[in-house]
Amino acid sequence: MKVSIARAELLETLSIVSKGLSSRTTLPILSGVLLSAQNNELGLNSTDLEISIKTASKARTEEAGSVVVPGKLITDIVRSLPEAAVSIETVQGGATISCGQSSFTVKTLSAEDFPKFPDVVPANTITLPADVFAGVVHQVSRAVSRDETRPILTGVLVVVEEGILRMVATDSYRLCVREVPVEGITGTLEAVVPGRAIEDVARLAASSETVKIGVSENQVIFSFGSTTFISRRIEGAFPNYRQLIPKDQQTRITLGRQEFMEAVKRVSLMAQHSAPLRLKVAVEDRLLTLSAQTQDIGEAVESLEIEVTGEDVEMAFNHAYLMDGISVSEGDKIALEIVSPLKPGVLKNETGEEFTYLLMPVRLG
Amino acid sequence: MSEPTERLWTGRAVAHMDMDAFFAAVEQLDDPELRGKAVIVGGDPTKRGVVSTCSYEARAFGVRSAMPSAQAKRLCPDAVWVTSHFGRYGEMSRAVRAILETYTPHVEPTSIDEAYLDITPGTTGEHPLSIARRIQAEVDTLGLSCSIGLGSCKTIAKIASDHKKPHGITVVWPGEEAEFLAALPVRVLPGVGARTATQLARVGIRRLGELAALDDATARDFLSRYGPDLTARARGIDPRPVHYERDPKSVSNEHTFATDVRERAEVERALSGLVSHVAERLRKSGLAARTFTVKLRYADFTTPTIRRTVDVATDLPEEMLPVAIELLRQSWSPGAGLRLIGFGTSGFEETAVQLDLFGGDKAADERPKRKALAEGVDAVKARFGDGAISRGISSRHEGPAGPDTQPS
Repeated sequence: MKVSIARAELLETLSIVSKGLSSRTTLPILSGVLLSAQNNELGLNSTDLEISIKTASKARTEEAGSVVVPGKLITDIVRSLPEAAVSIETVQGGATISCGQSSFTVKTLSAEDFPKFPDVVPANTITLPADVFAGVVHQVSRAVSRDETRPILTGVLVVVEEGILRMVATDSYRLCVREVPVEGITGTLEAVVPGRAIEDVARLAASSETVKIGVSENQVIFSFGSTTFISRRIEGAFPNYRQLIPKDQQTRITLGRQEFMEAVKRVSLMAQHSAPLRLKVAVEDRLLTLSAQTQDIGEAVESLEIEVTGEDVEMAFNHAYLMDGISVSEGDKIALEIVSPLKPGVLKNETGEEFTYLLMPVRLG
Repeated sequence: MSEPTERLWTGRAVAHMDMDAFFAAVEQLDDPELRGKAVIVGGDPTKRGVVSTCSYEARAFGVRSAMPSAQAKRLCPDAVWVTSHFGRYGEMSRAVRAILETYTPHVEPTSIDEAYLDITPGTTGEHPLSIARRIQAEVDTLGLSCSIGLGSCKTIAKIASDHKKPHGITVVWPGEEAEFLAALPVRVLPGVGARTATQLARVGIRRLGELAALDDATARDFLSRYGPDLTARARGIDPRPVHYERDPKSVSNEHTFATDVRERAEVERALSGLVSHVAERLRKSGLAARTFTVKLRYADFTTPTIRRTVDVATDLPEEMLPVAIELLRQSWSPGAGLRLIGFGTSGFEETAVQLDLFGGDKAADERPKRKALAEGVDAVKARFGDGAISRGISSRHEGPAGPDTQPS
């Protein structure tokens, strides 16, 4: 194989396939990138057996062929090179990467040993604007669970139906639901996609116009630009989140989102070691008082003016969970609806968009 | 002692109360047959036990605490050997502490049979020496005996309490510290062990007066960074306050096995007893802890500690035990002999439980019930004694259930 390619393009494609490199050392080939040169195109593949990524870039192929190079090392090498043409050529048992006066030779593995790219035939494919897709992923992904003991919660539920894109994530302490109507989409689709994979897709697709999503029985396939990103689906039923969302409320407060966020950030300084953040709503005074204290450290209090309907209430939340919810909502104003101190609080946008962030309180004492 | 109480006490007054042959004295109190005899409390001399305590009659033969039982047996073949009744020692220790606490809340128990008291004039309304005499008399009425050292700091009080044993009161008047200490061997100073004493002897320092004469730089040369602290204490300067348990930083207990233990079941049962007891102490103090520490001591005296911090503070044994067991399993495998196991908690804060959306979190749902159960058990113990009720896993275990443990 002998190919030459612009350094910037090579680096971009390498950073895409880097997301699919395995960190497991038991299968060395999975920490490699499969390079395939043909027809004036350099193709790159990676897989960790959970996700598989394939991308390509224009290149000048002098001799077609393929080889597996160590993924992290070649990315580091290319990143360090000056902006010029990079040539990659296989030599006995290795590959030489040269650019200007620099030359590297790395050991390679045989392309034949590299896992075959999954052959996924989706039932149907839905095309979404990449920025809408990435925005929704950003909003719900904070609520994805990192706890592998409940696998279904480590994924994001992605649903397309009736012209609406909806994503839901929950780690059982909070739940985030976001719905967006998308013009011109037809068909339906439903899958639970591993949180890490969908976050990677959202990040990688940001520079593309659109993201195409298709699902097969076990896999979900994302296509954007010249990249194909395949992830396994998480098996099992996603919790019935609709029944968790309170139908009514005792107290509803509205306040400036930025103001709320800054106050929570300040008071949380005194809520160390996941000490709870207390919220107290005084309806008559139209005040929300935030407070936190950590033994042997100190305490903080801050009051905010609010619009409020309903009754006085006092409850406590994990400050990080509350902060996540406020920071991923949009608009100048935010609403918090409370049923009772032991029931979930609900954060909503005041922009009229369908954004619901439920968070379970902390019980004191 | 016929020290005059008319003499004015100026400045801080610290008393150190040390029970005389405590375990042996309790045994002699409970069994009149043992009175006046050489009594040794400790491990079986035919196994590899050690002497826990011995009566003054046995001390006359040269028997000492922590001496291998076999050696004690050789020194004093006629001694009566009794096994420890830790529950009973705990009871008597609390009775003694209750006496101390009538004089001042500033009581710092350092072990089951020792405590420091801050009885600085003005805080108690009574002359320190008069308090010391009254404490000793009240302890006498329990049928036990203590010795008390009185001085201007902890170091002086501690050394003084050992000065005239048993049943002594040793007063070191403020300003007379250096004079009192000067002629004493360096070994009496807490913190000076055999190794330090040898190091000092090598440079010709055998008495505290000689140690006190060192300047800081030389002290650092001879004794590393702790040197200046030791020389200051050798001069009778020790600003450490008497800590009393109003705001403890940690609550822990440990249990020393009579013989090295290798069985998982036995070690875990001991740990379970320690966890229950520590949790009970936390509840008594209204505390909940987030950091749990398991301390082990192997046969070779290496003493690793392993700790973990959990998300939510707790005061319930059910929530601490799984963590404690896991820490134990991480660092100990059955077969390796353990001399001691300890369990400690720190990182105190109010109990707070993050609720779960799916309500499936039984832990959170059952918590109020378990808390109620734990408090019920506390109440039964308070009324009927520590032996009245115990957990299934800790029953039949004569080791560290309840107060059969040393607060550490």
